[in-house]
Amino acid sequence: MTKILTEHEAKKLLAKYGVPVTEERIAGSADEAYDIAMELGMPVAMKISSPEIPHKSDVGGVVLNVKEDEVKTTYAEIIARIKKAVPGASIEGILVQQMAPPGHEIIVGLKKDAQFGHALMFGLGGIFVEVYKDVTFRVVPIDNSDALSMIAEIKGYPILKGIRGRMPADIDAIARVLVSVSDMAEKENIIELDINPLIVSESGAVAVDARAMVE
Amino acid sequence: MLSSIFEPKSIAVIGASNNDTKWGGRILKNILSDFKGQVFPVNPKEKEVQGVTSYPSVLDIPYEVTMAVIAVPVQLVLNVVEECGKKGVKGLIVVTAGFSETGNAGLELEQKLLSIVKKYGMRMIGPNTLGIVNEPAHLNASVIGRLPSPGPISFITQSGTLGLAIADWTIDMGLGLCKVISTGNKADTDDVDLIEYLDKDPMTGVIAMYAEGIKRGRMFMEAARRTKKPIIAIKTGRSKRGAKAVFSHTGSIAGSDEVYSAAFRQAGILRVDTIDEVFDAALAFSCQPLPKGNNVAILSNGGGASIVATDECERHGINIVDLAEETKEQIKKVIPGFASASNPIDTAGTVSFTIYSEVIKALLKDRNVDALIVIYVHTLMSNAIPPAEAMVEIKRKCPKPVIACWMGGKGTEEGVDILKSGCLPNYSVPERAVKALAALIRHREFLETVKARATGES
Repeated sequence: MTKILTEHEAKKLLAKYGVPVTEERIAGSADEAYDIAMELGMPVAMKISSPEIPHKSDVGGVVLNVKEDEVKTTYAEIIARIKKAVPGASIEGILVQQMAPPGHEIIVGLKKDAQFGHALMFGLGGIFVEVYKDVTFRVVPIDNSDALSMIAEIKGYPILKGIRGRMPADIDAIARVLVSVSDMAEKENIIELDINPLIVSESGAVAVDARAMVE
Repeated sequence: MLSSIFEPKSIAVIGASNNDTKWGGRILKNILSDFKGQVFPVNPKEKEVQGVTSYPSVLDIPYEVTMAVIAVPVQLVLNVVEECGKKGVKGLIVVTAGFSETGNAGLELEQKLLSIVKKYGMRMIGPNTLGIVNEPAHLNASVIGRLPSPGPISFITQSGTLGLAIADWTIDMGLGLCKVISTGNKADTDDVDLIEYLDKDPMTGVIAMYAEGIKRGRMFMEAARRTKKPIIAIKTGRSKRGAKAVFSHTGSIAGSDEVYSAAFRQAGILRVDTIDEVFDAALAFSCQPLPKGNNVAILSNGGGASIVATDECERHGINIVDLAEETKEQIKKVIPGFASASNPIDTAGTVSFTIYSEVIKALLKDRNVDALIVIYVHTLMSNAIPPAEAMVEIKRKCPKPVIACWMGGKGTEEGVDILKSGCLPNYSVPERAVKALAALIRHREFLETVKARATGES
């Protein structure tokens, strides 16, 4: 039996293997959302949480950079949009999370291949993965040196090194995430997993969005 | 033991026929034409097949039978295999089709077949195979028209027809083959078994593969990593994307092909795009040592060809190395004053035994140079033979790889023949020569990395 994890569940799983994830909690009401947001610090990201909606932004389920005076209204707006776009979907609430610091957008993923087992993917995320598919693969398990060679072999590597005065990415932090994801592949019976994006700054990386299908 | 199939003492051909347009007729004919051991046709309707005493069943053969080739109608296969088991036959080549390749009913039949094979402890190639060739044993238990020339290349092919056409073509290419194995449905013997077998086979030096799908992927990777012999594979299906309706980005990008590429690279397998590249690389492996590094020198009598070679080197990360001053001085002594003594070396159209001989000697002596590409471009003013003779003479004593590229048509043929007889790999265009060299370099890298790790030598 396959099971789709919500973003929050997927991140809990990642955190168990040492992948840093955004601080976040699920709110069941507008008031609760406000309290969580105050606790996390403004601005926040607000995202619909439903196992039936893996592609949250396609249905208007994601609002970023929400300020203090917008939290409650945003809560109501997201719920209203989802009820219209995906009638009958079971809604766990709204995930309220810290906004990630600025950084490079990275994608890290897993896919279970019928013949070779789990393959780990790494590449530049955001528009880069959509358009250029600048990614590389390894059959897991991998160690830290494999992770470093994966990072170094994509075309966009100079971007991560900080080309023309741009902020360099914390390469070791990415490598740690790759090894952690490699470790969880078989133990958690992952069928597919995306961390997209993993935001990587000069010091550290954090999984901002994730989805997973397990069996 | 797979050796019972590749090196049998005696062979029964079940479904043997006098008609050599039938599988059982053609394969019997091929076996009889070269194989030195005993051969027993089995055909209940004939007393003699192709001039050899025939038996109604394998159980009626009064001698020991090591291996049986089975080419009977599909509904008779299980019964025949059961008889082979009772007879004590050790290896089977099941040519008959109509098993898992046809769907669920066929798959069930194949599982029954496999259980009989296992019950008697036999080994099987197929079903749905076009047979095997083992040149050192003079065994052509296949439908290839002739035995290939001897050599170190063993070729595993999932497509029977493609494999056999290629095997035939290698003869004209002047490539030497050791074994050709049409794997068929791989019900028993699969790629893992074959890699392990060929790794231990002293006659095999290079493994070439045409694969459509790999069974037991992880074990295949392990087997490939453990062998020090180069494996060159063409894997089809590059054009196919992953499934369309997917859950994740990773799922949409990670088609089986991307995973294959990663797995092959991690296992130290050279994956190439074309059939030409498989055998171009196999040719280089079969007669040249591995280079110590990726620094190459190029010698040519024409600037254009060496520029093409230089560009291709760059594409493959091969370094056109700066020559030692001493080397340049030596080269200047033999080439015309207006020609270039820097790498790539251009003799500006002049060709002679002495020029090629002296320049090649100087280059090979240079400690910066790991490998050499020697190009000869045919013109009406030059002769393809002397430079070929120069290469062959020097090559005999040289531990560095030397790759030849004799360009031109009929005028170069005699030179090319000299290169071939001197065991120098020759290619018709510079890009092919460079790609073959790139394969040698890549394999050396694999030996130092993934393969060293697998065998605990790092």
